[in-house]
Amino acid sequence: MMEAILPKSAVIESKPAPQKLVRSAATPNLAGMQAAAVRLPLCFVLTGVLSLLVSGAVLLVQPDLLAMYHYTPHFIAVTHLFVLGFICSIIMGAMYQLVPVTLETQLFSNTLVLFQFVAHVIGFVGMVWAFWNFNMAMVGVFGSVLTLGVGLFILNLACTLAKVKRWNTIKFGITSALIWLSATVAAGLFVTASNFWTSIAFQLLAAMHAHAHIGVIGVFVMMIVTVSYKLVPMFTLSELQSERRAWCSVALINVGLVGIFITVLFQEPFKPLFALVTISGFILYGWEMVAILHARNRRVLDWGMKYFLTSIGLLVPLAILALALTWSGLPVNAVTMQLESVYGLLGLFGLVGFAILGMLYKIVPFLVWFHSYSRHIGRAKVPALPDMYSVPLQVAGYWSFLAGLVGLSVATVWSHAAGIRWGGGLLMLSLAIFALNMGKMLTHFVRPKVEPFAKKPNLLEKTL
Amino acid sequence: MTATLLTDELVLETLRQVIDPEIGCNIVDLGLIYRYAFKAGKLTVTMTLTTPGCPMHDSIAEGVKNILLTLDGVNEVEVEVVWDPPWHPSMMTETGRTMAGVRSF
Repeated sequence: MMEAILPKSAVIESKPAPQKLVRSAATPNLAGMQAAAVRLPLCFVLTGVLSLLVSGAVLLVQPDLLAMYHYTPHFIAVTHLFVLGFICSIIMGAMYQLVPVTLETQLFSNTLVLFQFVAHVIGFVGMVWAFWNFNMAMVGVFGSVLTLGVGLFILNLACTLAKVKRWNTIKFGITSALIWLSATVAAGLFVTASNFWTSIAFQLLAAMHAHAHIGVIGVFVMMIVTVSYKLVPMFTLSELQSERRAWCSVALINVGLVGIFITVLFQEPFKPLFALVTISGFILYGWEMVAILHARNRRVLDWGMKYFLTSIGLLVPLAILALALTWSGLPVNAVTMQLESVYGLLGLFGLVGFAILGMLYKIVPFLVWFHSYSRHIGRAKVPALPDMYSVPLQVAGYWSFLAGLVGLSVATVWSHAAGIRWGGGLLMLSLAIFALNMGKMLTHFVRPKVEPFAKKPNLLEKTL
Repeated sequence: MTATLLTDELVLETLRQVIDPEIGCNIVDLGLIYRYAFKAGKLTVTMTLTTPGCPMHDSIAEGVKNILLTLDGVNEVEVEVVWDPPWHPSMMTETGRTMAGVRSF
């Protein structure tokens, strides 16, 4: 009999043979199960990337959309293409993949994912078309289809969350995001319906702003904050440093956002107070991220992480802008109105968009790898995730995105059409680079690169 | 009749061909293999993963099984994935740390 204990570390040797939490590995039809679970999140991701490219192309063709005030049919249509088509599709696809990972459980239903995907695509494409033509009746129709899909998404994730008995920051954050998602959709339908009412208790523009805030901060940013509490330690080989600090950050963002929604909707004077409460939640979040990174064991941060951390850094200018825009003494002039557009641009394109691009460099290679290589592991040589795309292209994409975002923001403040075109052009260059890298990743989906293991003659000597 | 001499070196070198695709390092130098025992054609491996809920869980464990079954004399492989003791980067070998860019302890 041969027996060995590895590695020769004090930690292992001092422990007796493990008695608990043992799980036998082996699922004979593993490849089939994995393929089904991976294909649908990948469909969401590809839909998102396509929407991103189309919305970028529209801005490039019509840069004047950003040079004027943002309450126009075409601007709202492009915003919804970006928000629902790009951000929502990616976040939903990513959540189906990440929630089970972060909560260490299985997704409730893959069938619901399929139904939701169909409703989501019909809903958002129809809504963008209806907004473009400013046909509010059809916005309501397609919005209802989208709502059906959102309902399925919430149901699926809520049932997945219910399987996890213990409350922790991640469960708290994802539950919060799902509640905010319900509120956002309800508010969106309410705003649409109110177009047909003769008298309402609030201004439509204020309702639209309130709807946008709970959607972006409550759903997107909350999801980003929550999953990063698991993923940043996982990718940097670190640990959450303070569960209490993480919990408080989510709680403060929630409390602040309730106040923001009410004060923005009814245009009350306490906006700066609730903005400060939300910002204090983000300060705690930033503090925890710094602590996690400080304690990391992996010295070098990969570029996917750099994208993500840079996006989080954009919370600083966003917080300053938010406080400035809530200040009651701010003069109402053209520059102020353009600052509102920059606030939205930095929030959506900068914070959420950049974070998503960073996450995609983790999620897409993983999904493709899982589909193409999981059944080959141990049977043949398979590539590592970073081998599936070009790192120099990733770096070029990072800098062109950052330069484009800064250029676009400055040009938007001054309504400078040529500057907007240049900034938008740089952002498009970055997205084209990303699309190229996506193509490289997807070639592994179509044509997996599997090589036989190298023989080691010195170790495989045969004895008679 | 031919048979391969099953040695520690052979088992470890074979397992080194299974990588964690996210970290880009093989599972032996990552310190994921806790122990193994060979008796009457059956190889039992006790291992862990870098994080509970790791989505690569089944793939890596299945990979360990597949690769060990290629060894002559091994008719059956049992892989047990355990979380106690939890994995920590200090369990990596010096080679693994260099490959993954992990600081020394």
